[in-house]
Amino acid sequence: MTNESTDQTETAPEDDLSSTIWPQVDRALAGITARGEAGRIDLIVHVPRDEVIDALRRLKTDETLSFDYLRSLTAVDNEDEGMDVVYHLYSTTTRHNVTVKATLPNEDLSLDTATPVWKGANWLERETAEMFGIRFHGHPDPRNLLMPEDMTDVFPLRKSHPLAEIEILQGEGMGYPEEGA
Amino acid sequence: MAVTPQTELNPRDREGAVVATTDAPEAPPTAPEVPTTTPDLPEIPVILPGEHPLEAPLLTPVPHTPGKALYKQILPGVMQVPLDLVLAASRKSSLWPMTFGLACCAIEMIGTYMAHYDLDRFGIVPWPSPRQSDVMIVAGTVTKKMAPAVKLLYEQMPNPKWVISMGACATNGGPYTRYDRVLQGVDKIIPVDVYVPGCPPRPEALIDSFLALQEKIMEERKSTGR
Amino acid sequence: MVTEPAYEFETQDILLNVGPQHPSTHGVFRMVLSVDGEVVRDLVPHIGYLHRGAEKLCETMDYRQGIGFMDRTEYLAAFNAELSYVMAVEALTDIEVPERAQWIRMILCELNRLSSHFMFMGAFGIDVGVFATPFIYAWIGREALIDLFEEVSGDRMMFAYFRPGGLAWDVPRNFKQRVNEALVVAEQGIKDFDTMLTENEIFVARTTGVGKISAAEAIDWGMSGPSIRASGVPLDVRRDEPYLMYDQVEWDVIVGENGDVYDRYYCRLLEMRESVKIIRQCLEKMPDTGPIMPEKMPRMLRTAPGEVYVRTEAPRGEYGVYLVSKGGNRPHRLKVRSACLANLQALRDMSVGQYVADAIVVLGSIDIVLSEVDR
Repeated sequence: MTNESTDQTETAPEDDLSSTIWPQVDRALAGITARGEAGRIDLIVHVPRDEVIDALRRLKTDETLSFDYLRSLTAVDNEDEGMDVVYHLYSTTTRHNVTVKATLPNEDLSLDTATPVWKGANWLERETAEMFGIRFHGHPDPRNLLMPEDMTDVFPLRKSHPLAEIEILQGEGMGYPEEGA
Repeated sequence: MAVTPQTELNPRDREGAVVATTDAPEAPPTAPEVPTTTPDLPEIPVILPGEHPLEAPLLTPVPHTPGKALYKQILPGVMQVPLDLVLAASRKSSLWPMTFGLACCAIEMIGTYMAHYDLDRFGIVPWPSPRQSDVMIVAGTVTKKMAPAVKLLYEQMPNPKWVISMGACATNGGPYTRYDRVLQGVDKIIPVDVYVPGCPPRPEALIDSFLALQEKIMEERKSTGR
Repeated sequence: MVTEPAYEFETQDILLNVGPQHPSTHGVFRMVLSVDGEVVRDLVPHIGYLHRGAEKLCETMDYRQGIGFMDRTEYLAAFNAELSYVMAVEALTDIEVPERAQWIRMILCELNRLSSHFMFMGAFGIDVGVFATPFIYAWIGREALIDLFEEVSGDRMMFAYFRPGGLAWDVPRNFKQRVNEALVVAEQGIKDFDTMLTENEIFVARTTGVGKISAAEAIDWGMSGPSIRASGVPLDVRRDEPYLMYDQVEWDVIVGENGDVYDRYYCRLLEMRESVKIIRQCLEKMPDTGPIMPEKMPRMLRTAPGEVYVRTEAPRGEYGVYLVSKGGNRPHRLKVRSACLANLQALRDMSVGQYVADAIVVLGSIDIVLSEVDR
């Protein structure tokens, strides 16, 4: 496994990540098949989903990095290519940023929870869960956050969930002529 | 004191009554015929008022001209209006809107209450409880999660009550109308009296809506059930 | 000798529902308090009463149309909200913003911070129990600023004035003079609040030591803005990762000590002074003439595939925009990182063990905007 990760990291420097914090991240994530990618502002680290929580915990507890601040947690619906769960981390001491990404296949949209690592992940995960239908295993409070609590089968931020057509919703009662009239 | 026998004054004695009325001369009603026919009683001298020498000039009948009733007279400093007008005028002059902010429009609503625009000069005082309020300003987007609460608040308000739908979102969903968690206008759940356009409406627009509502209250004053 | 009282009451926790319509919840926020007498034993916040899908709607709109939705997510500081979004689009399209436009953006953002904090002062004063007076004082400064915003952008609250690349149009000719006039009013307002609240005995008694949160907890919850700086964490995006021209002006990051409600209030008050300081420097350094948009702007903005997370320091904390593009003229995914959501999460930790009346004060001190929480 370690060999695989080093193989991948050797292919990664196409983007020339040596100027970023990727070497330190790579060292902290030794044993995890992480892959670095240069983002527009921050470094993006792709991590397999089974090892995400482990990777996040290591990034948080690593002495030189100490990503102790969870900025944001969300998901991106890539339709056929599954969903990405994205973590934006920040270090209040070293002022580094990193984006951690895990891709979930459409067949199994579930992931371990990050609430043991950061308390602040609680509501962000609840929101992500109800908006995308991703299950977070071991979440302490898996209720809906923004949607009504009994509404667990509608995922508004998925691409398959359409927005209503204006005409359909607003035509009623607006004095539009009946069909055939 | 003279005691009149029961039999004579009994109103059920129709014969006697008829006799009494027929025997009485056609005198003015102010001079009732004293029953002098009663034999057992001592004679009482009867002086009719008109025959008294002293009172005669005073009792010359004066032709009666029916005067104006007090309520039809125009007295100085008194205005006469129908009661429903008074009620409507007092209702429109002390509208108490419920402070009920939903979203962005609430900030403009607060701004309208403040000293710069000063809704108080129209008698409009914000009140935080629905039980004492007259007007509900729906200021902001009504989502479907919030809709039951809005309806409950409307039902908690005592009659008469009015609703101002402030802003595009409350009127028809505004920019968010295509999202299915948003109610397409608050008039889907409660009746609305005045719609204010704008996103958000300026304070002047909200003041104008209150003026329009006051006009409406005066116009609909005779309707019942509100 | 007293062994046991002759009577024994079994106390029962009472559930107390506050909201979603309540004058002190600053919008449609609902919390269910479990109270034992006057003491809060548990607090369950319920949000989502203003969830109106701004993120979803932005995905179906052109990049420039999304600006309006960003305004409405953070309606008390719309310039700051626009800024994050516009900077995210600029980062994806590699547009360079002219220097003058950056100075103007910075002035407007700081002015917006002033007006937002004025709103906080008024609302917080009411929460503490000073009925209506602070609100009326706050609106003196706020109206002066709003009038200025209206002259610049054409609207009182929803400006839509920042565009990808620069500004929608140039500022009025007497912009500097007008900003100076507004600053005079704002400074007087700050002074008013300082004398009215800061050393007010009742205010201090109501707020000191209430709703404490430690620095480590605050970081763990992901709090930001004045709410975390009051706990002693010098976390400020303007200082840590300077954007616009924040590295060219001198100012201080205000940091509190105790992390209680009073510190959160006082941090905001001092921050307003810093904002005035920043604006004065900006006015000096801002060039009088110059372009406000790049020379060549495409008629239709198309971005390269990629993603970017842009964060700025809004009045309530870090306002981040995570923008994912797959090419084309509309975002594939837009996520707004809300500072209020993170701050609100910590409300339970701050309120449990306090009195009921203090729970309201704690809620007021983190200064939530519900449409930013729910989006």
